[in-house]
Amino acid sequence: MAFGHEHNGEAGGHHDHGHDGPKTLPASLAAPEIVSAWRTRALIVFVIATILSVFFAFTHEGKNHILRAYLLGFMTCFGFAGGGLVVLMLQYVSGGKWGLLLRRPLEAMSRTIWVVGLMFVPIIFFWKHLYQWAAFPTAGAVAQALQAHQVTLEQAMTLNAKRSMLNPTAVIIQTVIIFAILWFFQFLLNKWSLERDADPARGTEPSYDRWRIKFENLSGIGILIYAILLTAGAIDWIKSLDITWYSSIWGLQFLVGQGYAVLALSILTVILLSRFEPMKTMLRATEQHDLGKLAFAFVMLNIYLSFAEFLIIWSGNVPDEIPWYLNRIHGGWWYICSADFICHWLIPFCLLLSRDLKRNKEKMIWLTCFMIFARCLDMFWLIEPNFPDAAGNLHITGNIGILAYITVPVAVISLWGAYYLTQLQARPLINVNDPHVEEMLEPEHAH
Amino acid sequence: MPPREGIYGLLAEFNTPGELVHATEEARRVGYRRMECYTPYPVEEAAEAMHFHKTRVPLVCLLGGLMGVTTAFLMETWINVWAYPLNIAGRPLFSWPAFIIPAYEWTILFAGLSAAFGMLALNGLPQLYHPVFNAPNFRNGATTDKFFLCLEAVDPKFSLGETRTFLEQFSAISVVEVDH
Repeated sequence: MAFGHEHNGEAGGHHDHGHDGPKTLPASLAAPEIVSAWRTRALIVFVIATILSVFFAFTHEGKNHILRAYLLGFMTCFGFAGGGLVVLMLQYVSGGKWGLLLRRPLEAMSRTIWVVGLMFVPIIFFWKHLYQWAAFPTAGAVAQALQAHQVTLEQAMTLNAKRSMLNPTAVIIQTVIIFAILWFFQFLLNKWSLERDADPARGTEPSYDRWRIKFENLSGIGILIYAILLTAGAIDWIKSLDITWYSSIWGLQFLVGQGYAVLALSILTVILLSRFEPMKTMLRATEQHDLGKLAFAFVMLNIYLSFAEFLIIWSGNVPDEIPWYLNRIHGGWWYICSADFICHWLIPFCLLLSRDLKRNKEKMIWLTCFMIFARCLDMFWLIEPNFPDAAGNLHITGNIGILAYITVPVAVISLWGAYYLTQLQARPLINVNDPHVEEMLEPEHAH
Repeated sequence: MPPREGIYGLLAEFNTPGELVHATEEARRVGYRRMECYTPYPVEEAAEAMHFHKTRVPLVCLLGGLMGVTTAFLMETWINVWAYPLNIAGRPLFSWPAFIIPAYEWTILFAGLSAAFGMLALNGLPQLYHPVFNAPNFRNGATTDKFFLCLEAVDPKFSLGETRTFLEQFSAISVVEVDH
């Protein structure tokens, strides 16, 4: 009789008889005190990781590795801030109960966008160590570099061909535009979200409809604009580390990767918060299960795009494209490549297949943390082999500075995390002027 | 198989899902285990009341998927390496990246078919005969607006007199014996 339907017997004792009335909305919707403690912990981790990172500055190639690892941290934080914004817009356009509890955590992520923008400033000062277009910004500089064998002929020609987009001024302008537009979108969404709850007509059908349509109209176009801006950003900040590399799937790959990381972080946030009120009352097994399924979809889409890109380039076997993969497979990189595949796809995929795991809070905490780690590992695999000393040659001996890839991102992400938690505390955790709130207070599967 | 004789169980008929769920919970509480609820539409609480959470469909689906991926991958390997080796752009005969997509498709195909047919098989379908249809009120009610609880005679706790008394304490419209 019951194939294909949900049974929630194990989900908790509160609806054993199926006749319980609705729960009541907790009196205080403010974030629990514990968030301050989490923030203190994040800051302690930041300080320790920063001190450890400083040591690497004195190792051979250490400063370069710190810079590249910082770029990794920056891009991960951008993924949380920008990705948080786009998932927020996604849940506004798609509607549904799954996203209601994520709204305030996602809003908190999106409000960190200006901090992430500031985090880009140090990169500008040191970027001639990262990007060839920054080191050789003019045709003359490129010609000189070619003579001195600092760049290959192919790189020199590509540098000249791509200069209109990839030169220091253009990249600064693009970066400013990206952050300004994202800031504007998150400003409106965050402002309206508070106004929605303060609406004098709140709790009525006209109010629900008015706000729903208002959010939908902004979010629909916002998602499109974000996809375009992210493509530009991913090219400027990460892809152009190898000036000769091109792949049309790159922007989408980052978009999906951000969805992956943002879902992991927001599921982690709501589950940790659900140990305390008000999230304790609000988070039901059904919604947690739905979020797990959505995360599973992103795990699948992520490997689909990554593997499709690889398969197409592998099939083509064109000398222009294939070295990018060879640099990331040969010379010790095979271990990282395999670990990336296993951590980024195989483990989350196999675990998220399980219905019980998706409904289990403790296990989901571990899995979501692991997924965030897997994103960083993937980014390491994308960034480090771009540089001549590491391409097709992963080594630790005499290259201890590479360990900065562990400490620096931890420092950057914990600092960002502390600010995220501050923003999370700034507002009530539940968006109340929404018809779904009432539905979520009802027992699961009521008649 | 020779036709089985005797009583299949006692069938109680209810007007509302709430009454059915209540009776099921009580039956479970006093120790009945072999029982089944029959409702015109899915009633989640009834499944819960019977503690019916787990099915083996996911396992069948997983095994089907594993069978699909293994079959496809080995078949491609056999074809490309031994049966019909072709030099394609100088690549090795065992070019596993190219095998992934078809192997993946077979995984989905086999998993999907296993889930669908496994579900039917585990439900015991197709089934041409079921004793509960011997109850005259079942045919009309079970697919329209009545809710049935059947306590089966194979349950060790089943006894015609006591079980009937047990079922009659609820607001059942009728409690009837069902023959095999």
